[in-house]
Amino acid sequence: MGETILVAAEQTLFDPMIWMIVVATAFYGVFLGAMPGLTATMGVALFVPLTFWLDPLPALAGIVTMVACAIFAGDIPTTLVRMPGTPASAAYANDAYALSRRGEAGRTLGVMLWSSVMGGMFGAVVLMLVGNRLAELAGWFSVAEYFWLYLIGLSCAVIVGGSSLSRSLLGLLIGLLLSTVGLSAVHSQARFTLGYPELFQGISFIPAMIGLFGLSEVLRAAASQSSVRPKIFATGGAILGPAVRLFAKRLGPWMRSSLLGAAVGILPGAGADIASWVAGAVSKRRSRNPEKYGHGSTECIADACAANSASLAGAWIPALVFGIPGDSITAIVIGVLYMKNLKPGPEIFETQGSLVMSLYLVFILANLVLIPVGLIAIRAGGWVMRIPRNVLLPLITLMCIVGAYAVSGSPFDIALMGLFGLVGLVCERWKVSIGAMVLGMILGGPLEERFVQTLSGSSGSPWGFVERPVAAGLALLCLAIWIGVGWSGYRDRQRGEKSISR
Amino acid sequence: MLRMFSNVQAGMLLAVLCASSVFCIGIVGCGGESSFPQRPISLICPWSAGGGTDRVARQLAVGMESELGVPVNVINATGGGGVTGHTRGAQARADGYTLTVITVELSMLHWRDLTSLTYRDFAPLKLLNRDAAALFVRDDGRFRTLDDLESAIADSPTAIKASGTAFGGVWHLALAGWLDSRGLPADAATWISINGAGPSIQELLAGGIDVLCCSLPEAEAVVAGGQVRCLGVMSEERIAGFESVPTFREQQHAWSLAGWRGLAAPRDTPVDRLEVLTEAIDRVTATAAFRDFMASSGFDLSLEGPEEFRETLGRQDELFGAILTRDAFRAVSGEHFGPLMFPAVLGLALLVVFAVVIREIRRESAVDATSEPVAGTGTGTEFNAPWRAAAVAASVAGYGLLSESLGFLITACLMLIVLMLALGVTRRVALATAVVASLMTYQLFGVLLRVPLPRGFWEW
Repeated sequence: MGETILVAAEQTLFDPMIWMIVVATAFYGVFLGAMPGLTATMGVALFVPLTFWLDPLPALAGIVTMVACAIFAGDIPTTLVRMPGTPASAAYANDAYALSRRGEAGRTLGVMLWSSVMGGMFGAVVLMLVGNRLAELAGWFSVAEYFWLYLIGLSCAVIVGGSSLSRSLLGLLIGLLLSTVGLSAVHSQARFTLGYPELFQGISFIPAMIGLFGLSEVLRAAASQSSVRPKIFATGGAILGPAVRLFAKRLGPWMRSSLLGAAVGILPGAGADIASWVAGAVSKRRSRNPEKYGHGSTECIADACAANSASLAGAWIPALVFGIPGDSITAIVIGVLYMKNLKPGPEIFETQGSLVMSLYLVFILANLVLIPVGLIAIRAGGWVMRIPRNVLLPLITLMCIVGAYAVSGSPFDIALMGLFGLVGLVCERWKVSIGAMVLGMILGGPLEERFVQTLSGSSGSPWGFVERPVAAGLALLCLAIWIGVGWSGYRDRQRGEKSISR
Repeated sequence: MLRMFSNVQAGMLLAVLCASSVFCIGIVGCGGESSFPQRPISLICPWSAGGGTDRVARQLAVGMESELGVPVNVINATGGGGVTGHTRGAQARADGYTLTVITVELSMLHWRDLTSLTYRDFAPLKLLNRDAAALFVRDDGRFRTLDDLESAIADSPTAIKASGTAFGGVWHLALAGWLDSRGLPADAATWISINGAGPSIQELLAGGIDVLCCSLPEAEAVVAGGQVRCLGVMSEERIAGFESVPTFREQQHAWSLAGWRGLAAPRDTPVDRLEVLTEAIDRVTATAAFRDFMASSGFDLSLEGPEEFRETLGRQDELFGAILTRDAFRAVSGEHFGPLMFPAVLGLALLVVFAVVIREIRRESAVDATSEPVAGTGTGTEFNAPWRAAAVAASVAGYGLLSESLGFLITACLMLIVLMLALGVTRRVALATAVVASLMTYQLFGVLLRVPLPRGFWEW
């Protein structure tokens, strides 16, 4: 154990390549986060083709740093022009903007930066403590247990993510169906390929991802033309000092919010955006002055920022241990891991012990780098927001194309990326959950695989699914989740009918 | 901000850009084809990055680069259990600039009617290595020898579960072929389809399967750890580095089977170019660096020149044909749970949920229609200019259609200019940004990071 730490530290801290990547991606992340409409997920999707040419650790370090920085940088336009840079900042946009109007933009951003860094650190610690333990547990799992685990993961994603249950479910089912294109792991016959050999191995994940998260955002931004030029507040005065003093006074709420954030991150399908909503709501309930919430509450901002940053590391836990992504970013990360021949799963903690350890260090490193980079970003204020959108959108379109083509050097992938861009746009328009769709695309293959494996292991008898005690327990849990959802839905409807009849 | 440029500045900027673009193109080079090779070579790997074949390909690429003096780029054309990469490699222009790392699946896929491609579509260059199959069991004393395992399978057919790769993969064939050679039905052991040796090992340890069939290096760690016992390796002689493992033949089981990897060019590649390539590969595979790499990765180096390799390929093809067309194996191929079962279940669920969502949307739009004048909280800018999204989509399509013939630089530049003008950027800014951005992308991705970019007639 001690030796692994040393090796990991050597691999991480003494490798100039890692430092270079971390610093470069930090700026890239800040840029993306600060541009309203460009999300952290999109940044990761566009970064993936580059990871092809990097070793696993620098590739993962880049993703971790970029996301941490982008989630913070999303707060900058939120504060300065009330446009959430990433969805994770939406929960406290009103509070942040109200504070800016009182001339406290600099101080507010300081609180956001410090809370983000501290929340991120907390998340990293949670990842370290929980990851290995869970992996030991997972060693007992055979295919039947994994089947139920995937089903539970998918259920959580449908229930937690998105505004409406039916639309999350629709997104999920579309994703699952898309995952059945091509050869499955357990059949030698390709399905739904329409005669394209490129589809034999299934829909190429990276181009699809770039289309769904990258191009669709470009399309949406292009289609939503706004002629209003926002007023941008200046950031002056002390930034970090007041934030650190506030933090020292509120250690309890910080712990609570970070823990909440990490827990939300672990839930499949729920990421930074939901973490900040949940933490904000809990913070309001516990606060002594809840009336301020929504009208410029620094407490709300501090708690929500800590939570959304903590959720980032939390999302890596199910991704590493079970290969079930905790949010849409780790969904892409799993794709990267597979590409690097690092199969996520409990084995990764043994076979790639030093890599996992290095990953922990990278999380700490990323949050440390965020302090200076974040300060620069705050000082630089809103210049990023002044880049004309009409120039930026074509450039991002080009990046999407280059990224999609790079994976296998085939124009087919460009077409695929374009198609998924349109699919993403349509889904966005009708509020069908893209996150659930991506989760379906990732877990569809393994789910089918485990399903058929379990059945063929028990010669076709469905008894095989619940034969082992752990599998039976997980099956009951899954059943309980859905009964719970059905019950609360039924109660809501009853209440709704009553209120109508009144 | 860019609008602040005066005319003079913009003019100078353009001049600098033109000069630098000429410079860049000069670097890329467009000389005549007097000697071979003149430009970068693509090495197609039909398997994903990071895997065994990919590692061999990349090691080979490094060596060939220094031998041939041009970049050798590895392209992972994965898919179809090897169909995609092999097909692309065979159908590439036969000019020696596209080579393929071919693998044992080339001898198997066409017998399973997954492709019409055979080894005859390639000009073989070099056989690189062979991986013999081996059988493993948990070391709990239940099976000590191959005979123990054989009699257990014979006593209770289908009770013994085995895995190591997907259904119909090379290791599955190895096990089925062995059973067949002993006069047992090829499906006497139930094959569970698990993708890859790693997960199969976990399943063996968790008790989900009883027998593991894969190559020796793949299971080295658990064998060394004492949890797993190797019953024998399906090779003619013991494998270097695994001398303690007996062969099947030593145990009076006349059966051997191995996977292999090799290098090949498209069939009609000119002979003089094949010679240049063969010489370069000979020198690379003779280097200590390459041999060390193969040894340390556990790949059993087994070199054969073009002629020998072609004969080996012929023999392999017959061997796998004999196994795969045998009635016994045809029966095994009939899968119990068809490939359309899972999608059918999903499709049904999708129809139901879709109906629910449609109803929901209808209801919402009815509510919206009645309450719209009152609400008015939206910004009013969402989706108010759909034609602009159409312009973006069209530019993607245009790039896809043109890039393979015009090359990256021209297509990217054109696309950026057209799209920016369509979105209302001033002509000067659009032109300057497009030229700078496409050149920078080319240099960064194409030259520095070696990301594949489309090459047209002029190679850039």
